[in-house]
Amino acid sequence: MPRIPKSISRPLRRFWYGLREWCGDAAYERYLRSPRTQSSSRPALSPEEFYVQQLNRRYSRPNRCC
Amino acid sequence: MKRAFGIATWIVIALLGAGALGAIALHRGELLNAIWFVIAAVCCYLVAFRLYSAFVAAKVLALDDTRATPCERHDDGRDFVPTNKWVLFGHHFAAIAGPGPLVGPTLAAQFGYLPGTLWLIAGAAFAGCVQDFVILFCSIRRDGKSLGQMAREEVSERGGFIAQLAVLAIMTILLAVIGLVVVNALKSSPWATFTLAMTIPIAILLGLYLRFVRPGRVLEASIMGVALVLFAVVAGQWVADSPSWSHVFTLSGVALAFAIIIYGFAASALPVWLLLAPRDYLSAFIKAGAIFSLAAGILLVRPQVLMPPLTHFVDGTGPVFAGKIFPFCFITIACGAISGFHSLISSGTTPKMILREGHARLIGYGAMLLESFVGVMAMVAACAMTPGVYFAINSPPSIVGATADAAAATISGWGYSLQPQTMTGLAHAVGEITLWNRAGGAPSLAVGMAQIFSSTIGGPRLLSIWYHFAIMFEALFILTVLDAGTRVGRFIVQELGGRVWKPFGRTGWMPGVLISSAIIVALWGYFLYQGVVDPLGGINSLWPLFGISNQLLAAVALVVATTILMKMGRLRWIWVTLLPMAWLVVITMTASYQKIFHSNPRIGFLAYANALAAQIAAGKIPTEKIAETQRLIFNQRLDAAVTAVLASMILVLIVEALGQWYSILSRRKQPVLHESPYVATKWAADFTGAAHGDD
Repeated sequence: MPRIPKSISRPLRRFWYGLREWCGDAAYERYLRSPRTQSSSRPALSPEEFYVQQLNRRYSRPNRCC
Repeated sequence: MKRAFGIATWIVIALLGAGALGAIALHRGELLNAIWFVIAAVCCYLVAFRLYSAFVAAKVLALDDTRATPCERHDDGRDFVPTNKWVLFGHHFAAIAGPGPLVGPTLAAQFGYLPGTLWLIAGAAFAGCVQDFVILFCSIRRDGKSLGQMAREEVSERGGFIAQLAVLAIMTILLAVIGLVVVNALKSSPWATFTLAMTIPIAILLGLYLRFVRPGRVLEASIMGVALVLFAVVAGQWVADSPSWSHVFTLSGVALAFAIIIYGFAASALPVWLLLAPRDYLSAFIKAGAIFSLAAGILLVRPQVLMPPLTHFVDGTGPVFAGKIFPFCFITIACGAISGFHSLISSGTTPKMILREGHARLIGYGAMLLESFVGVMAMVAACAMTPGVYFAINSPPSIVGATADAAAATISGWGYSLQPQTMTGLAHAVGEITLWNRAGGAPSLAVGMAQIFSSTIGGPRLLSIWYHFAIMFEALFILTVLDAGTRVGRFIVQELGGRVWKPFGRTGWMPGVLISSAIIVALWGYFLYQGVVDPLGGINSLWPLFGISNQLLAAVALVVATTILMKMGRLRWIWVTLLPMAWLVVITMTASYQKIFHSNPRIGFLAYANALAAQIAAGKIPTEKIAETQRLIFNQRLDAAVTAVLASMILVLIVEALGQWYSILSRRKQPVLHESPYVATKWAADFTGAAHGDD
């Protein structure tokens, strides 16, 4: 398979990661990487627990404007 | 050499912007191309960002990139998350850009294209962007505290309470008015009603998928959801064409209002993962896609602007809403020029995710410039349609006449020629039963967008699909604001109620959830119903009320910002926030006074109430209509009282702030700044916050 030149693959990868970060797709991975999760003695939340907690917090304050 | 080239480039941009602005301001005679609007807006934004925002960043706020931001100090992977500045720009823009910058300019187009466009550009550069930027900065320096908390700490305890009440008030009026926009877009339209109704089961399907099948996989779920919604747009035509199904989805304004009220209650009380969040995901993707497509469409089609620069409705006799250009143009276009609601976002999620103080310039100032550009595009879309058609869609029958012939004659009499057949043909072409009396901005914007889109792809054959795509896009993200706003309103009601009776404040207590949801829905639902049955068209009274409350919240934010700048010792640059604040106080107070006391019944709430009371006294109202008229009189007086309360709140806050300012300036009191202490950043200068993709 021909290799995609780096000048094309790099911006595409950046766009893809940016898109995942923007829409919240990468939120759980972020949470697992965060210093507080890594240093905590308690086990990390499961993807499902994290997802529901995250939504409950986000939608309890103004997050969509007129 | 490089520096000279840079300076020369900026001089060219500035001259181009000035030339384009001159073209749209002074153009008379032949039709003007919309491309001039794009050039004028983009060049002005670039110059404002390059010069004014840099000045605010360096001199007024003195942003400090060596200072650790809240996300570095509290990085918890949940709220405090270091985020790449472009990703955060997208986040912030998606949060601030709602239906306001689309609807406001469309309504203000009744004054002609010029006043609204100039206010959108200048208001954003000198007021709206400054507010968003300065409040974001203040919140970053205070660990992401909210506007209410900052008002309490920096102005006074009472100031914080007023800010919280102002948020609840604006929320109530906002939700009612955007609900009314949806009602006017969907009434008597089985196609649009079916499409929007389908977004609810689609969202629930997505919610279940994201909760139980692939938790948190937002991207794949959203792609499926967007595909289903687009299919629903096409399927809506089959429903509208089916005699047995079309009447099921052909609803009156009152029926739609109740449907929206029930929906708002359900979205507030149901678990957030089931309906609210998945709808929000859908809406975010469709919003980004539609705004990008509109920009591309305008650039490709380059439509002619058919609306004159100024119409004679600047004298206050406008059919869409009554009131002179000052102050009502500045009240009607709130979002897009300056919107107080943004200060809640700038002191909400964004400051907790920002990597460096320096990024606040792009995110706070830059995102608002982009929202202003959305407003300019909406203005272009509204002004690119025939003015007669624009007025036919947006005028209530009590102004233009109840029949098509009478309305066409009235509008033609204003100098905007219109044949009744034109409206019948257009309604048929976009797949609607009628386009008369659809005030609210959404249908006329959808017609404008559909004409632009269909000139790019599909031609007249696809006009109806594009129209319903545009209606779906507007209604979808209006309902997203409605359900998210109702939920936030519910939390505010619970918090305020919790001060009186503690258990009520517990967010997980089901009776508290149901009662507080019912209270907030009843509050905005009442105003929505009142707007739907208002013979003058509810937009005439509700949209200015919304504009006033939104601008009042902006004034609250700028009072807080000015107080903080004063405490920081930046007296020399205090005008940066003080002048927009003074301007907002002048326009909101003038508008409030006129809405309450103006002698014209179409403008003054009390004059309208008195005129109706006089009609009852003179026996001009039939007996069966007396109860309805008395309810209308009560509603007008209620609107007057609400306006008076809103105006009083800002006056009390200003008096509180003036007391603070006096004691700071007279050095009677040592100013106490409630900033978090300085902590030096440990992140390298090139750290971008993205662990992947930044190799």
